[in-house]
Amino acid sequence: MNNFSVRQFAMLLKRELLEHTTLFFYAPVILAALIFLFTAWVLHMLPGDELAIAIEYVAVAFDGLSPRDMAPLFMSLSIPFTLVFSICAVVYLLSTLYQDRKDSSVLFWHSMPVSDLRTVLSKLVALIVVAPLFYIAVLFVLYLLGIGWMTLLGFNYDIAVAGLAYLLMAALLSLLLVYCSMVISGLWLFPTVGWLLLFSAFARRAPLMWAVGVFMLLLFLEDFVFGSQFLANWIESRSNPGQYIVFDIADLLPRLFNYDMLFGIAVGSILVGGAVVMRRFTD
Amino acid sequence: MTSIVHAKGLEKSFGRFRALKGVDLDIPRGAISGLIGPNGAGKTTTLKALIGLCDVQGELEVAGQDPRRARHKLMEEVCFIADVGILPRWLRVNQLLDYVAAVHPRFDRGRAEQFLASTDIPPNKRIKELSKGMITQLHLAVVMAIDVRLLVLDEPTLGLDIVYRKEFYDRLLNDFYDGDRTIIISTHQVEEIEALLSHLVFINKGEIVLNTQMSELEIRYSELIVQSDKMAEAEALGPIYQRKTLGKHCLTFEDVPREKLQPLGEVITPSVADLFVAKMRQDRVLGEAAATGEAGHE
Repeated sequence: MNNFSVRQFAMLLKRELLEHTTLFFYAPVILAALIFLFTAWVLHMLPGDELAIAIEYVAVAFDGLSPRDMAPLFMSLSIPFTLVFSICAVVYLLSTLYQDRKDSSVLFWHSMPVSDLRTVLSKLVALIVVAPLFYIAVLFVLYLLGIGWMTLLGFNYDIAVAGLAYLLMAALLSLLLVYCSMVISGLWLFPTVGWLLLFSAFARRAPLMWAVGVFMLLLFLEDFVFGSQFLANWIESRSNPGQYIVFDIADLLPRLFNYDMLFGIAVGSILVGGAVVMRRFTD
Repeated sequence: MTSIVHAKGLEKSFGRFRALKGVDLDIPRGAISGLIGPNGAGKTTTLKALIGLCDVQGELEVAGQDPRRARHKLMEEVCFIADVGILPRWLRVNQLLDYVAAVHPRFDRGRAEQFLASTDIPPNKRIKELSKGMITQLHLAVVMAIDVRLLVLDEPTLGLDIVYRKEFYDRLLNDFYDGDRTIIISTHQVEEIEALLSHLVFINKGEIVLNTQMSELEIRYSELIVQSDKMAEAEALGPIYQRKTLGKHCLTFEDVPREKLQPLGEVITPSVADLFVAKMRQDRVLGEAAATGEAGHE
């Protein structure tokens, strides 16, 4: 890839982020603000002695733990972020190729020397690799506020809540694990990603209805014609979050390189290929 | 003169509807070509096929490339402005320039900014906040700053007031056209572009009904304002269209030498609009005759 190619791809990524600031930036910021306000309100309402008990509880939970052991505990705070990200990802995938056609701007994008494959790839990279970084950045600010609050209260009530350096290291490690989990979940759920993109490129209206409707029809047809539930079972076998959440850095490679992961990526790639072909000629 | 567009036997169907029925089209480099046709004639489908936005059957080569194989490579040489506001409405003006500068190797940002400086378009505004006229000006500024060989315009001034329309074509001629570049314009407002055209293509019901250079127009086509006592003689020469204006009969002829017409009245070259109406009527009459003939045979 030459310099121009790299610059072009970087701009395609920027384009995605600019178009979807609500999903990629405002959504985590608003969520973080709500969590912060809710926590501040709870702390404000809590009597002083109960606050001390809560701090003591955290101190005991963290006692003697290394940052590596503490990281999964920090990760619990990421749950609402990953849930919101999942919803935003579905909205993004269904609208990204559909909206361009709805407002006719696809004609402008097509009038530029950018291939459909490159455009679709930029959308996948924006969602799976870049967007989680924004969520992580916001989560980092929330972690810092939390650590600052725990340390200050610890001083106030004379309770030692682990070391500040330990807490920071645990927070950073947890952010790395959350980021890896988000990226790996994007790859693990690649068939779903491809399916949604396909209908985003295909549907003339209501892509969600198409994506869900055709999927239900396939399930029904398989059951009706062959009397089997292979598709339903395959999806069920892949729907355990434990298959893509990384709780320890040692989980990373086994999560990435296994038969189920690679097979899912292959199925998803075929569906993404379909979306690229649809993108070429539908307007 | 070599062709920048070469199409042979282009076919396109939407379900049972045949939008293009074997379109043959050759447009020479450096031409300003008008693609004229009624609604549903196949103008937009033809233009989309030329830039690879529509999958068609048949032979097709644009700027030496097959648009169906490498649209993105072709778009380094070709620009396109459509009838509807196709610029992404959520982008800001300067973000649009940033985007084109990063993805188009032949875009000169300075030149686009220079064009925009002569308009009232604020660089920080979102495109959705601009008027339709401003959006067209912006798109034209972007396109004129791209060093391309072919510009395809599909009803570019539809819905614009006369000031914007005039300015659009003035700019196109003064700042874009250099005699080397090729422009293909499809429009309903034939009168406005008549003076610009070097080449004329009429399309009707998915078929090319006229494909000629403007310079050949006055050789092949004549309009006779016939003297009332010579009407029968004029009709005997086989006009393709007759109309009555201010009490005078005007007859349009195809491939009839002017020497034969001059004794019958005043002979002029028909305007593109009149010729268009004449060819569409002729096409309809021929179609009806063919249908009657077929019915007679059955």
